[in-house]
Amino acid sequence: MNRTAILGIVLAGLLSGCGSSVTLQTATIPEPLLEQIPISVGLRMSNNFEHFVHEEKVFGREEWSIDLGRSNAALFEQLFGHMFARVKVLGPNDDPQLFPLDALIEASIDAFEFSTPDQSNTEAFAVWIRYRLKVYDREGTLVSNWPVSAYGKSQTTTMGGSDALQRAAILAMRDAAALMIMKFDNVTRISSLAEHPVMETTPVAEPEVDESADADADTDVQATAHEGSQDEAG
Amino acid sequence: MKQARRLIKAPVVILMTLSSTACVTSTVQDARTGVTGINEGESVVIMAKSYHLGNETELKYIRCIENNLARGKNALRVIPHDEFVDSLFPWFEPRTAPAETKNLAKLMERPGVADRIESQGIRYIIWLDGDTERVAGGGSLSCAAGPGGGGCFGFAWWQKDADYDASVWDLQGLESAGTVSADVSGTSFMPALVVPLPFIARTQAKACKTLADQLHAFIVQDEEV
Repeated sequence: MNRTAILGIVLAGLLSGCGSSVTLQTATIPEPLLEQIPISVGLRMSNNFEHFVHEEKVFGREEWSIDLGRSNAALFEQLFGHMFARVKVLGPNDDPQLFPLDALIEASIDAFEFSTPDQSNTEAFAVWIRYRLKVYDREGTLVSNWPVSAYGKSQTTTMGGSDALQRAAILAMRDAAALMIMKFDNVTRISSLAEHPVMETTPVAEPEVDESADADADTDVQATAHEGSQDEAG
Repeated sequence: MKQARRLIKAPVVILMTLSSTACVTSTVQDARTGVTGINEGESVVIMAKSYHLGNETELKYIRCIENNLARGKNALRVIPHDEFVDSLFPWFEPRTAPAETKNLAKLMERPGVADRIESQGIRYIIWLDGDTERVAGGGSLSCAAGPGGGGCFGFAWWQKDADYDASVWDLQGLESAGTVSADVSGTSFMPALVVPLPFIARTQAKACKTLADQLHAFIVQDEEV
């Protein structure tokens, strides 16, 4: 390779600017100290919970790609596993009415934002995540629509901005978890949806599909029928 | 040859010594509101006040205070704050941590909280508030390099202030034991005549050592009351 080619590559690199990529290892939360809510819930998460990637070009500066992987899914599975007596994670095509559930919770991500030290004129990265939790009763009626806004902040270290941004994202998730633990029942009144409060803490067993369940199959999408029709905050 | 080496070493050592010192002034004071003291098996934990309240205390400053309290002849037993926060999740997260001692009683009633605190032997929670900021600076220093060599010329200076307050909460009586504060100001300067000579004021390190020493005395030496 001659000098001109090398110089060209170097110049192209400089002109294209810098890009930063952050990949988060699946986050875990510690076992919380709380009083479990004695009901069985179904948890349905939006598709991007399993693989959430946020890409943003900071105006005039770097281009960022933040890959949270399945951290959001792991957070909600762990958290609700601790918060409720029984949790059944439902796939996108699962019919909640085929399971013995007191309530269905649909979780999604409304917004993800972050700021860099350059933007905030501090030495810290900050991350904001707004989740949306929709709670449906046994009949599929929307009973609560709760936006959960969480915030995490972490100062840059000698290890670089990537570590600080990861830590800020984890802190934002922990902040969301703390808020949900504190306020979930007060905001959504989910405990009042229990038909027969669950005393034991074993996982929900797979339901025995019987004829009555089949007979109800045409009403099994009631839970999602209200989605989008009620935007009021819980 | 040995003499030549000594001749080179001497200015290097002098320069290194000078570089490590600069103008630093510090003030430390405490205000005691209760009798303190710590028994064997009891521990302390260092926390930063919440960033939800606008606090910017640096993680490395917390670690520095932890390390200073945990070493030496009369070292205190220090529970690392990450370990403490995880063990009491979610009640010491930035959003949920108690802001005043009057909230402690309610916190202790939450399931498992009192047991976890007791099992770790935590007697005091020390809440840090404050940060280190560059407050002034000036001068001009420029460097240039060419085929025949390079060098710098000029003079630059900057001042950093490290102001930290530590509130000591006694979990035995669920009350405040008092506060300790350290205000440190340091001016660094760098003259350059071909070679730049940095005279760096280690403001934050000084604030850490000063506050940690005073905290240690505050907690251990209750006879001053």
